[in-house]
Amino acid sequence: MDGPSSAPLFRMEGVSKRYGGVKALTNADLTVEAGHIHGVLGENGAGKSTLMKIMAGVVQPDEGRMTLDGNPVAFGNPAAANAAGIVCIFQELSLVPELSVADNICISNPPKRFGLIDQRAQRRIAEEALARAGGEDIHPLAPIKDLPLSRRQLVEIAKALVRKPRILILDEATSALTAADVRKVFSVLKRLRQEGLALLYISHRMAEIAELADECTVFRNGRNVGTFKSGTKSDTEIVELMIGREYSHVFPPKPAPQAATGTPALEVRNLSWNNRLKDISLTARAGEIVGLGGLDGQGQRELLLALFGVLRSTTGEILIDGKKCNLNCPNDAKQGSIGMALIPEDRKTEGLMLPMSVRDNLSMASLGRLSKGGLVDRAAETKAIDEMIGLLAIKTDGTAVPVGTLSGGNQQKIVIAKWLMTKPKVILLNDPTRGIDVGTKAEIYQLLRKLADQGAAILYYSTDYDELIGCCDRVLVLYDGAVGRVLSGDEITERALVSSALNIGAGQVGTGTSSMAGAGAAG
Amino acid sequence: MTNPLATLPVLRRLDPAVLTAFGCIVLLLLFGAMRNPNFLSPDYLLLQLQVGSFLAMVATGMMLVILLGQIDLSVPWIITVGGMMSTAAVGWGPWGATFAIPIGVLCGLVFGLVNGIGVAYLRVPSMIFTLGINAVAQGFMVLRTGGFAPQDMATESMHDLATGRLILGIPNPVWVWIAVGAVTVFLLRRTVFGRAIYAIGNRETAAYLSGIRTQRVVLAVFGISGALAAFAGALLAGYSTKAYQGMGDPYLLPSIAAVVLGGTSILGGRGTYLGTVAGVILITLLQSILSVEQIPEAYRQLIFGAVIVAMLLLYGRGAKVAA
Repeated sequence: MDGPSSAPLFRMEGVSKRYGGVKALTNADLTVEAGHIHGVLGENGAGKSTLMKIMAGVVQPDEGRMTLDGNPVAFGNPAAANAAGIVCIFQELSLVPELSVADNICISNPPKRFGLIDQRAQRRIAEEALARAGGEDIHPLAPIKDLPLSRRQLVEIAKALVRKPRILILDEATSALTAADVRKVFSVLKRLRQEGLALLYISHRMAEIAELADECTVFRNGRNVGTFKSGTKSDTEIVELMIGREYSHVFPPKPAPQAATGTPALEVRNLSWNNRLKDISLTARAGEIVGLGGLDGQGQRELLLALFGVLRSTTGEILIDGKKCNLNCPNDAKQGSIGMALIPEDRKTEGLMLPMSVRDNLSMASLGRLSKGGLVDRAAETKAIDEMIGLLAIKTDGTAVPVGTLSGGNQQKIVIAKWLMTKPKVILLNDPTRGIDVGTKAEIYQLLRKLADQGAAILYYSTDYDELIGCCDRVLVLYDGAVGRVLSGDEITERALVSSALNIGAGQVGTGTSSMAGAGAAG
Repeated sequence: MTNPLATLPVLRRLDPAVLTAFGCIVLLLLFGAMRNPNFLSPDYLLLQLQVGSFLAMVATGMMLVILLGQIDLSVPWIITVGGMMSTAAVGWGPWGATFAIPIGVLCGLVFGLVNGIGVAYLRVPSMIFTLGINAVAQGFMVLRTGGFAPQDMATESMHDLATGRLILGIPNPVWVWIAVGAVTVFLLRRTVFGRAIYAIGNRETAAYLSGIRTQRVVLAVFGISGALAAFAGALLAGYSTKAYQGMGDPYLLPSIAAVVLGGTSILGGRGTYLGTVAGVILITLLQSILSVEQIPEAYRQLIFGAVIVAMLLLYGRGAKVAA
């Protein structure tokens, strides 16, 4: 009955996929219309990524059917999906760091002349694509490794556009972006919608979905639990759909501000490094969560690494409990007398050894405590690990499975748990909630507050303003490697954070930015 | 695809690559037995193990290095250093004769530590640095022997260690292999050092940020590899009663091949010692069959190389399917 003209651009019906004994997707339906942005929500492990992979031809469904323009289709590989006009931007960046921006953008199908890559044409294509993706300021010949994460994401979008997609799938495409970049990407996406593209937008940030999407679909446990017009459900209702239970405050209450007395657990004096960190001084007291704000790439990451002893030839002093200490490597920093822990930015490359077991990963940082004379005390190790898995409610099928098989949120919990096992007194966190689901985020917020209450000093860098507002007792906003402004208590507002991140006086930034930087959920 | 063998708990824990290696060993034994009935006699098999134990010493060190995601190309001449220095020590009087083997091993350890410093602290890729050290070791040995013939005969005790059958009629080198193997398994499975090796091989950054002293671990592993290669050289010198230049040359490819055929990932981070044992036996049997067949040396080399490449292709494919 349905002629091709009246059929939706893309439809999938009854699609299921299982990996071994795990059902990743059960009987899922999805309809995508041209000229629409379709938001897809769900916790990690809810089946969103599998859905996308099936659409993009990366994995094949066990059952179910897909139609494009009303005609049944099946994609045996990503190239087939590409040819049909379905292009995916995955959560994990897929750029080659050593190659230039232009090389990366044209990597799948470079323009050729006499059988060789036509550099000039490639540069032109890259420039056009970058302009469409809102990254005009990125030089096409710059190597990817020199770009900060947020710029790389724009390159990733440009790379997808070169393949002339009809359906563009964005999986957590903004998780690494700063508010300003997000705004840029959004205007690009809206323009693409006007051009008649169908966009499938997966995000954990509900404010983004609310702003962008025409329709939303929520996944839970591999099932489609609801598709609705954007704006017809409140944030709270959506979150309840996602997690399938009553949803209350995301952020735990903050304690009343305390008088700044006694020796701070962590004190930094005039820390500088290579012109990237400029004369940074800060204190963090036991029981305090100190946020690091600002735009991405203003030295927050370097500051945390410098504190943890990773960077060479830093100048300035670091004092722990009032005692000056000299940290030359992470091993120095984690020793009991210092008691530092760093939850790094990228769990897949810096936090975990993905192919190794949950057990090996959890005990990796605290092997010193769990061993005698170089011998691992298996009993003590098992006890400590079981404790941590219980404390953080890590969902894993035993401790012998590779960490790589866990969902993103649970992987992040492992990174945190691994460091909690060292009983740290000063905890440094580098954007620990990036790309993980709302439920896990809330658990992490609770945990941080609990750790602070138990006497830890926490330094918390986040790209998400809501987290800084909701979690932190004080926020240091970094600008160009220096502390631009310190906000505390009620001063920590979205407007203050944005304006000091841009290094302009408060009040100059309109309220329009507030919806951009939003994340998580309504409290 | 589910493997029917995987239902047995013991087998499920084994790497499919290790199973394949043992399967190949059985096939080679059957093939050998068809060509020559003596092939399956206990004496012949024990002899294979004895010959294999020299390779096993080298492969053990090589495995640890490969687990780190590095490679040690300096083994040929470190083996020679081990052989030549331990026999040379005999010429230094009774004291040298007593400590001949430790002196050889010590020299190998020094070269190994130099490798470790180059890779861990100077950050030179191991493929280049160890190749350079191989040439340096060769230079030293040529210098030592240039113009005159130094003492190169093995002592009686070295000969005994390499050829005697002290316990249960099993050749002594096999006992040495069992001891070294047991220590290695213990090291890899039970100690912080072993965990650190796997961690570095999987993701060096994450290991470093976990507070593992990665440079020290890399240094130590290269030291162990050098010491074991030199030890193999000393055993070889005892076996053939003398040390000679180029005695380590036939060990580079077999030692790497044994490790990789045993299922250890050439990229590091994954592998078991049992696999290396299987790989060593497999390579030794293959070499033995090729030499028994009495084909010209050139063809033997051709077949040996081709078989190893073919097996590795097979393994690569298996790994992809499993992933």
